[in-house]
Amino acid sequence: MNHPTELKYSKSHEWVKFLEDGTALIGLTDYAQDALGDLVFVNLPETGDEVTAGEAFADVESVKAVSDVFSPVSGTVAEINEELLDAPERMNEDPYGAWLIRVENITDKEELLDAEAYIQFYESEADA
Amino acid sequence: MIHKLSTYITDNVNPYKNLAMEEYLTLHAEPGECILFLWQNRHTVVIGKNQNCWKECKVNYLEEDGGFLVRRLSGGGAVFHDLGNLNFTFCVREADYDVDRQSEVILQAVRMLGIEAEKTGRNDITAEGRKFSGNAFYKTKGFCYHHGTLLVDVDKENMSKYLNVSREKLQTKSVESVKSRVVNLKELNPDISVTELREKMIQAFEKVYGLDSEAILETRFDWKEIEEYEKTFSSWEWKYGRKLPFQYSMQRRFRWGDMELQFQVDGGIVQAVNAFSDGMAQAFVDTLPKVWQGCRYEEQSLCQAMKGIPEESPLEGQMKEDIAQLLGECI
Repeated sequence: MNHPTELKYSKSHEWVKFLEDGTALIGLTDYAQDALGDLVFVNLPETGDEVTAGEAFADVESVKAVSDVFSPVSGTVAEINEELLDAPERMNEDPYGAWLIRVENITDKEELLDAEAYIQFYESEADA
Repeated sequence: MIHKLSTYITDNVNPYKNLAMEEYLTLHAEPGECILFLWQNRHTVVIGKNQNCWKECKVNYLEEDGGFLVRRLSGGGAVFHDLGNLNFTFCVREADYDVDRQSEVILQAVRMLGIEAEKTGRNDITAEGRKFSGNAFYKTKGFCYHHGTLLVDVDKENMSKYLNVSREKLQTKSVESVKSRVVNLKELNPDISVTELREKMIQAFEKVYGLDSEAILETRFDWKEIEEYEKTFSSWEWKYGRKLPFQYSMQRRFRWGDMELQFQVDGGIVQAVNAFSDGMAQAFVDTLPKVWQGCRYEEQSLCQAMKGIPEESPLEGQMKEDIAQLLGECI
């Protein structure tokens, strides 16, 4: 399983990529997409909506379940990845390319893990 | 590790109350606790979270018959519930979630009634190759539920009346239902009743987990919170008004000419309409899009808006009647 070192990770299995312009991309980790199974639908917020660190901003439906997706940061939705509305399977095929939203005006963030700590986290969670 | 089994059986048959209770139980499951909730809905079509109700269900027929339309939190396809169906929900923390073990409860319960069943890839449980239980799942913030139907003696005529929808001309990006061959457990064992299955479910629950179960006391419930959930489930916005845009074109040949109506709907509200006819009364036809824009996509509000158009001739009265009938059949 692939977890790029330049990204930050949340314990609810989202990744964050902080961009140079102060905005951040958010997506589902490789671990998350694998656990969810084949994704068939995604509900995204709208541009301009507020997201709050630790709260659900989207949900994804796979053949296994509907699961909420939580925001690792607080801010405003600058952009949504509309491609996913037509092709939710992109989140399975390319989890780090298939970002869900880009957030601007970031005011807060959750405690985030680096790749190594994230892998340790989900491996210990799986053993529990 | 599950170390506590709780059960809750309700005789409430209002689907909005039941879905509210299901959400409440899920969000209040304790670590190590598995709650089995058994419930029934009266005359209800339940659609998956991301489904278009007009594509999956003949909404108008259901409402005419006094039925309920419900959108659940979990995914998957549309199902019909009546009092010949028993619903189950396993409510647990994510760490305690185990679909195979939960499904084993169903398999064992029906085995006690002399029926050999198996789980299939598509979240169904089948006997003799036919489905009697459809399962779906929801996860949020460390809480999960696994719920499903158990067809004991469901009215299959109603099931196909509401769910056999052919809406090829409804274009949308929603999740579509998969048609299955279904079987009532009563067809496999004529002596089965819902009451008996309910008892067997609890016995099997205890057997699979190797623990005794205890009925949840209602003193544990915060009815205010449950009412809040119920408000959402029964709201027009949740049932019809979700942001799931679609286009639908309906067409019919009437004595006065061909009529085609193309609706563009989002959030349950008509965004735009194209109306075409090769008949007379073009001015009337051209007025339809104007009066319909902004209406709720439902027969009653569309007919109400159309009624307001002044009639220039008796033909237009007839057209209104015919179009109303077309809307009634297509919505």
